[in-house]
Amino acid sequence: MNARGLRRYVDDLLRGRRPKAFAPDDFEAAQIRTAIELRAARQGPDVENAPRPEFLTDLHRRLAEQMNGAPPEPAPKQSTTRRQVIVGTSAAAAAAVTAVSIDRALIGSPTEGPVSDVAARQLTPNDGSWQRVAASSDVPDGRMHPFDLGSVTGFVRRVDGKPQAISGVCTHQGCRLWFDAPDDTLRCPCHTTSFSPSGQVLTHQLPIAPKPLPSIMVREVNGVIEVFAPPRQGEPA
Amino acid sequence: MAAQNEPVGPRPLRAVPDDGYPNWEAVYRDNAAWVYRTLFARVGNRADAEDLTAEVFLAALRPLRLSASVGEVRAYLRVTARTVLAAHWRETMGREITSIDDIEQPPDSEEAISTAPQRVAHVLDSLPDRYRQILEMRFLQGNSIKESAVELGISVANAKVLQHRALRLAAQVNEGGQP
Repeated sequence: MNARGLRRYVDDLLRGRRPKAFAPDDFEAAQIRTAIELRAARQGPDVENAPRPEFLTDLHRRLAEQMNGAPPEPAPKQSTTRRQVIVGTSAAAAAAVTAVSIDRALIGSPTEGPVSDVAARQLTPNDGSWQRVAASSDVPDGRMHPFDLGSVTGFVRRVDGKPQAISGVCTHQGCRLWFDAPDDTLRCPCHTTSFSPSGQVLTHQLPIAPKPLPSIMVREVNGVIEVFAPPRQGEPA
Repeated sequence: MAAQNEPVGPRPLRAVPDDGYPNWEAVYRDNAAWVYRTLFARVGNRADAEDLTAEVFLAALRPLRLSASVGEVRAYLRVTARTVLAAHWRETMGREITSIDDIEQPPDSEEAISTAPQRVAHVLDSLPDRYRQILEMRFLQGNSIKESAVELGISVANAKVLQHRALRLAAQVNEGGQP
């Protein structure tokens, strides 16, 4: 029996302090257990039930010392360096989070807005060049003009006078889309998926909606419409 | 939208890990939060939870095989956390107060991290109103003893006694005894 030890232990827990050890009997141990569970059941943004970023950063530094055998950042200027380490690591963490979100965006969810769709799903080859797909006069307003560059196939059309281009390959399993002009719809021959001329999925019979069609960078110069596409394999760009 | 029509540099090429972690930093980044939460749920204070979390990773990372799958790494971290927590109680209180048990659920799931919210809800439900109120105010809402006394319309001394008795009763309920 150690009523004072128990009282102090519970008091420390309530004040968020590290509790002082004592030798509890069975019932005191049960009360400590309950007090711990009560504290752990707190919810809300201010509670301690999530690790502090400073703690995570500091532990990361200690682990790096252990794993690499040397401190990753020498610390001649103690205060500023520590701060830099924290900032640096948070930036790295933020970058990791960003990378994940980008991957998510690419995988896509049907709830995402059209703006992010366009931004995230643009076809952006590592090595590309502007390649002619049509004469300007071939693409009047409202006409869907197919093109096939070998590396990329798609459709270009004019919206409010400006050219837009999308991929012509179904995002489900890669079948080539055809344009159903009377319905103003791109159709997939494989699973009857259909897309709007802007690339949004209109209908599908799949368990999960396929992604919208990637847009392709397009420009109009000197009476020619060009898209930015990778070179055909085996040919110079 | 003009910028969108400019080609951008390619992203760095990344290898896709085969259901494992590429390096220890990835192991740490992916698991630090649930390990901390698992320990916090069993010690109830930040200082101990941080020390024990550090101990887990300092002990676990060096011998870790990176060829292990994510699931194996997490199971290994949970077992390490169990050992570290058991040693903590042995050294401080001379007996086990809380433990990390074998469970079916993945270690990073809420059920595995802590069942405290459900257990506490059950315990509080079975207490008399005044007992429940003082525990909620003090432990869950973090009110001071003074604030709690004012809210309950009693003296500070009485609030202390009430809290003391409420915790005793809650512990009895929590341990499976009847109130």
